[in-house]
Amino acid sequence: MKIGLEVHVALPTKTKLFCSDLAYENQEEPNSNVCPVCLGLPGSKPVLNQRALEISTNIANALNCKISERTWFVRKVYFYPDLPKGYQITQLDGAIGTNGYVAVHGKKIRIRRVQIEEDPARITREKDYSLIDFNRSGVPLNEIVTEPDIFSLEELKDFIDELRSILYYQGININQELKTDLNISLAETRVEIKNVTGVRNLIAAAEYEIARQSELIKSGKKIAAETRAYKEDSNETVSSREKETEEEYGFTFEPDLTFYDTTRITIQKPIIASTVAADLANKNDYGEKTIRELILFNRRNLSLLSSIKKEEFKDGVSLIEKFASFGIDDYSEKEFKDMLKHDVSSVEKSDFMFMLGREKKPEQKAGKPEIEAGIKEMLSSDRGLMERGLKDEKAMSFMIGKIKEKYHVTGKEAADFIRKVIKSMSNN
Amino acid sequence: MTSKFLQLEKAEYAKLVEQLKKENERLNAFNFIDETEKDGKIISVKDNICVKGMPATASSRILHGYVPGFNATVVDRLEKSGFSVVGKTNMDEFGFGSFGLNSEHPAKNPFDEDYVAGGSSSGSAVATAVMKNHVSIAESTGGSISAPAAFCGVVGLTPTYGVMSRYGLIDYASSLDKIGFIGKSADNIRDVMEKTVGGDEKDTTSLSKHISNENPRRLYVVDNLMDGVDEGVKDRFEELLSKLSSMGYTVEHISIEYLEYSVPAYYILSMSEASTNLAKYQGFKYGFKVKDFSLNYNDFFMSARKQFGKEAKRRVILGTFIRSKSIKQKYYEKSLALRRSIIDKMKKILENGFIITPTMPIFTPKINEVSDINPVEAYSMDMLTVPPNLCGFPHMSFPYFYEKGMPLGAQVITDHFNDYSLLDFLSEWEKDFKYRFKKEVG
Repeated sequence: MKIGLEVHVALPTKTKLFCSDLAYENQEEPNSNVCPVCLGLPGSKPVLNQRALEISTNIANALNCKISERTWFVRKVYFYPDLPKGYQITQLDGAIGTNGYVAVHGKKIRIRRVQIEEDPARITREKDYSLIDFNRSGVPLNEIVTEPDIFSLEELKDFIDELRSILYYQGININQELKTDLNISLAETRVEIKNVTGVRNLIAAAEYEIARQSELIKSGKKIAAETRAYKEDSNETVSSREKETEEEYGFTFEPDLTFYDTTRITIQKPIIASTVAADLANKNDYGEKTIRELILFNRRNLSLLSSIKKEEFKDGVSLIEKFASFGIDDYSEKEFKDMLKHDVSSVEKSDFMFMLGREKKPEQKAGKPEIEAGIKEMLSSDRGLMERGLKDEKAMSFMIGKIKEKYHVTGKEAADFIRKVIKSMSNN
Repeated sequence: MTSKFLQLEKAEYAKLVEQLKKENERLNAFNFIDETEKDGKIISVKDNICVKGMPATASSRILHGYVPGFNATVVDRLEKSGFSVVGKTNMDEFGFGSFGLNSEHPAKNPFDEDYVAGGSSSGSAVATAVMKNHVSIAESTGGSISAPAAFCGVVGLTPTYGVMSRYGLIDYASSLDKIGFIGKSADNIRDVMEKTVGGDEKDTTSLSKHISNENPRRLYVVDNLMDGVDEGVKDRFEELLSKLSSMGYTVEHISIEYLEYSVPAYYILSMSEASTNLAKYQGFKYGFKVKDFSLNYNDFFMSARKQFGKEAKRRVILGTFIRSKSIKQKYYEKSLALRRSIIDKMKKILENGFIITPTMPIFTPKINEVSDINPVEAYSMDMLTVPPNLCGFPHMSFPYFYEKGMPLGAQVITDHFNDYSLLDFLSEWEKDFKYRFKKEVG
């Protein structure tokens, strides 16, 4: 069995790949985040988002690719209503990264290419018509193309898991949106399942397709070279009755753009979460799985766990979990370090918050001398108030209530004490 | 420098419009004349360059109804300098043609309406010929400024590729398209060019670079380019060379290897790019709209693409063929290599002087003489204008003779970023040359 993938991930840039419209489209009114460039209007020209180039260079590096010192773009020409220019600006020979790999349990899954490309518009299909939302048109993507080096469903899962952990530290959460073209061949013939959305569907589609092809082989039937689609509702793949060959795309140099020099781009040393988790586990004698989950849950957790000593490590993990269980997400490294000095294993949230300095200290009950001094001070400056209280029981009760509140005292005994003090004052 | 434009007050504008409409009935110079009252220095703009609020059709039915909501950078820069756009000039559809005939209503030669205006910037040349002190913003991919300038007796300047922003230009072949100028005075063209050159953040291929005016006073005649030139044109050209040597230019005859392959290399590259640039015309977002939404997408799409004229269809089909994987190396990549090689060879020459050629290999033809010629014959008419266009070298066609009342043009080519030397050359030429025009309005 051979599986190869073309994985599409959206880059975390503020603006689109070739214009200055915002790149995140979900919250917007349809077709509100558009301009002549991403609508492909005649006369408009693309201008490359430099941030997208920087991020892509770092992704290619994290996937162990050879970085093209001079990268360029091509036009992939095909006709579809979601493609306003009639071609997609993407990369091929001049792709940002080539010949990389992802190490999965010691095996290298080769990466053929990492390419920068623009997302087409979003089509919503209704019963009698379709709607097109160009807010998505021009959102920057990376397409990561693997060699057919994945040999089992387990390897597929592990590869995706590893890819997730690498991309997470490049600012990409593939749980949010992942689009994959899946190539599976159990025998000689290659079947492509296009446009599978999400990790869960990817695994389900692969599982179904492996079963389908095995069944065909077992019963001596021929597997057709074809493009299929995964249907989420029925959990199956169905033939799309189309087969496009590369030739039909008529790839050609994108002459509205130029050659881009990547040697001036700062490449950060990539954080490979699985490697880091293994190192931390080894160093601190702690479970790798938990560490991995924590550092893939929040990037801050990695710096917290990396900054503490072995003897604090277990407490550190508990503390991170404590923060999470109390729903506190906005704490600093300093706050974390301070909290680590305390034993918080059985602390309630309110006390935890108090220790953290987020809530005021609960007020202490005042002692009798303090209350007496306070009443005297108050009433000596306002004798009118005192006389009203002496004449009118309602006014007296009100006064007692206020004083109880002020000094955080409760109960009949306290009330009697206050009444006694007030009365004693009238005798002066 | 003394530039002098047709400058109008608002009250005078309606009269100009009226005069132009009348001329336009005869000559088809304009696809659109703006009747909205305006003042300032009057310019016109080729119909493949976007002017906010004015239709931009590139003379194609598929763009009927397209009104861009933005200005091309060149238009923006001119409007900020006190220029006003009077209208959009006729052209061969998307720039595909050398005679101006690939248009629903072809422009006609202002000297004699039986003759072609040249193309593809036909309307810009005609508008310049019929308006006082006019400059038109035109565009050349393979000779679309030089050819009509020569046939209409005006000056056509095509700048170095990249010095003029292409933002707002409706693309033909992006790596070859150059916005330029058609005018009838060196000073006017220089003024407009100075106000519009320079890099633009909206066009990645544009650049800001110092433009020089080096003139080594040497002219090279490329003998192997002259083979296909009409004998009569050759004779006139010899007379021009004599005149120029009497003005102090040294004339040298040379040959440049591969230059005769410029035309096939140019058509392969330009058709290849054109076939992708025209992919956006699908009939449902702007311009021509398919009414029948019950068609499936392929049929819907086909019914939109039927709106293209014959030459546009030819170039889309040939360009698509050239891009196909199995033959791309044979034609496209070979043409890229040829272009590279021809640039190097021409550059060596241009470092030491101008190259001078007749602009067109024939005298201005009558419309009925060229309306039925086959495409290969038509493409061969570009043999003299294609080399500098293919290589992005600045070049200028200027009128130098009137043969039986019809103008004749010659073309000077210079090195990249030495554009202003061409205008210096023209200023010198204008001292002893009198432009002739049949009728000028404004």
